[in-house]
Amino acid sequence: MAINEKELTSRKNIGWDGKTLKQMREEIDQLSRTTGHYAGLKKLPLKETEPIRYEKIFSKLRGGVVHARETAKKVAASPIVEQEGELCFTLYTPEGDSIVTSTGIIIHVGTMGAAIKFMIKNDYEVNPGIEDGDIFCNNDCQIGNVHPCDVHTIVPIFYEGELIGWVGGVTHVIDVGATAPGSMTVGPVTRYDDGYQVACRKIGKNDTLLKDWLIESQRSVRTTKYWLLDERTRVAGCHMIRDLVLDIVKEEGVDTYKKFIREVIEEGRRGFVNQVKTLLIPGKYRQVSFVDVPYKNLDVPPYARVNTIMHAPTELTVHKDGKFQIDFEGVNRWGWHSYNATPVSITSGIWVMMSQTLIPNDRVNDGAYYASQFDLPYGSWLNPDDIRTAHSYAWHFLVSAWSPLWRALSRNYFARGYLEEVNAGNANTSNWLQGGGYNQYNENHAVNSFESAAEGVGASAVRDGISHAAAIWNPEGDMGDMEIWELAEPLIYLGRSIKPNTAGYGKYRGGSGYETLRMVYGAKDWTMFFMGNGYMSSDCGLMGGYPAAAGYRFEAHGTNLKERIEKRLPIPTGGDRDPDNPEYDRLIEAKEIIRDKQAITTETIFENYDLYLNYLRGGPGFGDPLERKPKMIEDDLNEGHLLPRFAESVYGAVVTQDEKGKYIVDEEATAKRREQIRKERLKRGVPTKKWMEKERKKIINKEAAVQVRHMYASTFALSEKFYNEFKSFWNLPKDWKLTEDELGVPVFGRKINKMR
Amino acid sequence: MWHTQNLNEKVQEGDEEMKKAAKRNAQILAIDAGGTMTDTFIIDENGDFVVGKAQSTPEDESVGLLNSARDALAYWDTTVEEEFPKLLAGVYSGTAMLNRLVSRKGRRVGLIVNKGMEDFHRMGRAIQAYLGYSYSDRLHLNTHRYDPPLVPRELTRGVTERVDLFGNVVIPLYEHEVEPAVRELLEQDVEAIVISLLHSYKYPHHERKIRDIAKEVMKKVGKEVPVFASVDYYPVRKESHRTNTTIIEAYAADPSRETLIKINNMLKEHGANFDLRVMASHGGTISTRANELARTLVSGPIGGVIGAKYLGEQLGIRNIACSDIGGTSFDMALITQGDLSINTSPDMARLVLSLPLVAMDTVGAGAGSYVRIDPNFKSLTLGPDSAGSRVGVCYPEGGVETVTVTDCHVVLGLINPDNFLGGEVKLYPGRAYEAVKKQIADPLGLSVEDAAYGVIDLLESQLRNYLESMILGKGYSPSQYVCFSYGGGGPLHTAGYTKGLGFEDVLVPAWAAGFSAFGCGAADFEYRYDKTLDINVNDGAADDIKLKAGKELQAAWDELKEKVAAEFEKSQFSRKDVDFRLYFRMQYQGQLNDLEIEAPIEAFKDVNDWDELVNAFEDTYTRVYAKAAKSPELGYSITGAIVRGIVEVPKPKIPVEPLAGETPPQEAFLGKRNVYWKGEWIKADIWEMEKLKPGNKIAGFSIIESPATTFVVPIGFETYLDQHRIFHLKEI
Repeated sequence: MAINEKELTSRKNIGWDGKTLKQMREEIDQLSRTTGHYAGLKKLPLKETEPIRYEKIFSKLRGGVVHARETAKKVAASPIVEQEGELCFTLYTPEGDSIVTSTGIIIHVGTMGAAIKFMIKNDYEVNPGIEDGDIFCNNDCQIGNVHPCDVHTIVPIFYEGELIGWVGGVTHVIDVGATAPGSMTVGPVTRYDDGYQVACRKIGKNDTLLKDWLIESQRSVRTTKYWLLDERTRVAGCHMIRDLVLDIVKEEGVDTYKKFIREVIEEGRRGFVNQVKTLLIPGKYRQVSFVDVPYKNLDVPPYARVNTIMHAPTELTVHKDGKFQIDFEGVNRWGWHSYNATPVSITSGIWVMMSQTLIPNDRVNDGAYYASQFDLPYGSWLNPDDIRTAHSYAWHFLVSAWSPLWRALSRNYFARGYLEEVNAGNANTSNWLQGGGYNQYNENHAVNSFESAAEGVGASAVRDGISHAAAIWNPEGDMGDMEIWELAEPLIYLGRSIKPNTAGYGKYRGGSGYETLRMVYGAKDWTMFFMGNGYMSSDCGLMGGYPAAAGYRFEAHGTNLKERIEKRLPIPTGGDRDPDNPEYDRLIEAKEIIRDKQAITTETIFENYDLYLNYLRGGPGFGDPLERKPKMIEDDLNEGHLLPRFAESVYGAVVTQDEKGKYIVDEEATAKRREQIRKERLKRGVPTKKWMEKERKKIINKEAAVQVRHMYASTFALSEKFYNEFKSFWNLPKDWKLTEDELGVPVFGRKINKMR
Repeated sequence: MWHTQNLNEKVQEGDEEMKKAAKRNAQILAIDAGGTMTDTFIIDENGDFVVGKAQSTPEDESVGLLNSARDALAYWDTTVEEEFPKLLAGVYSGTAMLNRLVSRKGRRVGLIVNKGMEDFHRMGRAIQAYLGYSYSDRLHLNTHRYDPPLVPRELTRGVTERVDLFGNVVIPLYEHEVEPAVRELLEQDVEAIVISLLHSYKYPHHERKIRDIAKEVMKKVGKEVPVFASVDYYPVRKESHRTNTTIIEAYAADPSRETLIKINNMLKEHGANFDLRVMASHGGTISTRANELARTLVSGPIGGVIGAKYLGEQLGIRNIACSDIGGTSFDMALITQGDLSINTSPDMARLVLSLPLVAMDTVGAGAGSYVRIDPNFKSLTLGPDSAGSRVGVCYPEGGVETVTVTDCHVVLGLINPDNFLGGEVKLYPGRAYEAVKKQIADPLGLSVEDAAYGVIDLLESQLRNYLESMILGKGYSPSQYVCFSYGGGGPLHTAGYTKGLGFEDVLVPAWAAGFSAFGCGAADFEYRYDKTLDINVNDGAADDIKLKAGKELQAAWDELKEKVAAEFEKSQFSRKDVDFRLYFRMQYQGQLNDLEIEAPIEAFKDVNDWDELVNAFEDTYTRVYAKAAKSPELGYSITGAIVRGIVEVPKPKIPVEPLAGETPPQEAFLGKRNVYWKGEWIKADIWEMEKLKPGNKIAGFSIIESPATTFVVPIGFETYLDQHRIFHLKEI
């Protein structure tokens, strides 16, 4: 024991100039805070005196990190990684600030940084020790991960005994051994249902993974082969990047490298500030979004059986000096569902979004983070005050909460005349087809379709959003080939079609969503579930545009498909074009056909020849639909983006068909019809004050669905500020209150309650 | 036109003795038919070549071609009638098909797919919304867009059918649905019909059944159009790739066949005794009668790679890193152990395809690339867009206002403003100087010269990184490769982008400008066919399983050999003339990326052969992905069989000239010029490339000029011209 202690105390610190990492972390924070410049860098000596050398180092690092990702991803077996590109590598300073990142799921620039900071804070230098050749793993949500299926591999980089940085690699794995199969399973309501969580653990030494880790980790998940190859992908990429860094240090000298990594972050901060000044207009921008949590009838513990709604109001402040601030005051309480988020995941995710619009370049690093401020109420769904929270599909809330930020930015762009940059918002990136059991190879397996990486895009102020194209978490979206998905899933495609009426209507409509009809085939002990918005749209149109359509579910069990196929009778194929007049249901007999708005479900047994509809959402629209050009409506009709009755009711189009069934929009008649609609609108309209008076009465009488009341009650319980603002906006009596307790729903786990 | 004429004059001057000999023996004709100009390259028995140009004639390409050949032969004082009968071979490469595709001016094609999948082709793959984009535009969502589909939805029909990934019939073909589908398409006046069903590569019968029914229906209706079943062309996995490629076959390739036949006939009418061959994406040439003509869609850049491969074969160099800088891009490719790397799921014209394409990495950084300072991040950016033929600010007629890489060359004195592209284009250094000062130097706080030098330094360092990572990505190191540098802009930067990488040797052919055409003329007559397989063998499997797997692989090889042999038969080559080479694709079970490997065996005979295949795979795998990624415990999958068949065809000769001494002749010396290099103005020796003699050695700082290229030998470097007129660049 004595020897060990002596060893520990005589151990040389691994930080720079004999410091500990903890000291370094504190120093950086202190310097950045007091000066307003990252690491106190008011000047960039290297960049200013040797700009070319600086750029050369940058391009070598950046190119190398991107290249490592491209090479390493070929090792993976999972289509999620290989085909959809759900992986990312980032290089960090010794303190865990990001320097440069590859393409891919760059939300993890922040989450892996959080893991490194966690290790520093918890004195990993002393125990378990941080040494050259070590490999660490993290996927713990409460340490800062988005959800457990994003598994991090983190490797320290040493040069002559000193830690000069870290490299992190992340992949979205297909299963983490949660309560049900699939990477983002539905059903977990606590951390303990979320699956295998590894909290910054040392899993390898001397560049070799430890045997106990390999054994334990593979016994903890359903899809061992994918797990294994994903891990090899991450380790291979991290090692390539470590070699790259050491190569640069050899070429440029370690002192130059140390200067460079500081300056590049400060440069990122300055660049972001300038970008804000160029593209935005100082002021406050407020917006809100909601999404449904229909848990009342789900097979979950009693305290979780609550129908409620996520509340995500935001106030974006663009300061005159270019500072960028987002205040989430008013978001409601975390809950017993899988959609809670951590502060790092919401802020990092915002950079994913910003890199698609405000800063689409290769200089994304922690500099932007130092140039912005986020206010994230404690105890809310994005900053829970309880370690028990579940996070397996945090994205349900995240993608919904980000959509209004597109509108905030778009109002800026519109005002500055950057009409092409306007984007009405992102689709709710669902449905998630997930499940598992014994697959077509008779192996224990989980599936997680990433067809959801290609959803409709929001409209701009000059053109329609593009259809089936991207996801908020991945602008380089792709739906992949059906033949590749059929390698991974025992689900035969019976259709892949553009889905009419899924795009938000508008002068420019959103991009359309699509749907794929799957027939279970070759599976055994198979379960699946749905995950997406059902009752509510999480986006909202912009400047008169409509939101995209919400979701629903279609599943059919115990069908007579086999017999119909034998008799060569028509069977359901293609899209469920008009769910109000369903075609599928006419073509089959089944023990059970489910069509409803319960778009979130837990495990359901599926037998072979059962059907599952995977519907991927559209994007929101821009501008008044009455301003849409008749020719564009005609094209929408003929190309299957729009059902005729909505061309009439929403767009005011007067539609006829020619002898071949082609739709024709009569321009003159349409113009007349639109005039009439405008008059009807005026007739229907009431002055805002009058409308508010009516609404006010409803509020006073608490005339709203229990979900709506629950949403507001849990917001009020967290924020007096929001409660007071709400009261004054609606001019409510002083003693008006709305509490969670009066609603008769469980308040299990509640801590903060300002409505007491 | 300007530079060709000049180039020819130079070639002529440097070749006085040959001229006196008067008699030429034209042997190889290479044609590059672009959208506006048709170039012909005619190579004689000594390896000398001449270039001709003429306006392209899209309505009948043979007219433009003939004019172009006349133009070329005029430099040799001879005629088409005189030389065509002497030609041993002719190779065509053109952009007509690509233009037809990109401008969506192909045939009206009808498409038959699985019922329910009628939308999949027009939906494309979302990746097609940003293919070919720069990094920042890939992120920048609002820039993404789809091109119109090749086949519109209204010309698509579905028939009920499904086969699973193993090739099991899940839903039999509803044959009664085929006839109405075909009739409807014919009624809509389609000019061709393409059939593509899911997993047809595993179970071809349904596609073929539809094909046969369609033909019967056509007979009945009395309206016959060609029918293309995807499995008859590209029996490989990934339906978007396979369907796109088969559609291109019907939409653009098949219509081009007529053009090629016309050209072939024209050549014959003028005395040619050979069958025209067409450059194909896999790096070989194929007959105009080949089944799969869509693979001739490719043109241009791969010519240089094939030229490098041929030159390597002649000089005994097995590993080559090819590099080519043009006006808009830097193209790289690797030849390893004498073989080109092939990408089997490439993209062209923003479409994912299933053609085997010579794998090339392209970076948007060339001589015409724009140079800018990002106003907000204050970082120096190069490209990805380019002034192309508009050169830069230094060329007023080009109307360019943004600094380009060429402007920096001019500031530094690296290129002669009065002799750019043979002197036909006059450049104004003063304009370049002012622009670099205002746009680059002042914002960076550097002198104009240092800024211009910095741009070139950054460009070369980026190119060096790309080149290095491409080689490392294949699991090799530059010391195992010889770097070839060609193209108009290549030799200017060769020293810069090879510096410190430790290549075994660095070669710059003096005839670099015509290298791509030389490559076309040097291409093998080669067919390559691929087939998707799914053969799984677990680690430590029993012998009978390995045997069964081997037999299945051998059966695929046999099938593909038949296909290749049948193609050669169309050109009257019998099976014994064909050199067959067998390849397989392998991966660990479950992976999605395989590796293409030449079979270490001639045929699969016994269990030992299985182990040979596995060893060959694992050798390559560990080289490419590091040892840690080796995963034998997962078992192995053979995912594809490939057969290449090659027959001997005449190829251009490499020039051989007698060695002169190390000292260059006085008449090659053009004088001295000021060049700014590493912070100071120095006097560079200027040499005329054509007048240098084999054996000559030239030390830095020297600039060796020819009308079409400029070769820079900086301080610390030395170059030697060998007897094949190839410069070897050495760091000393």
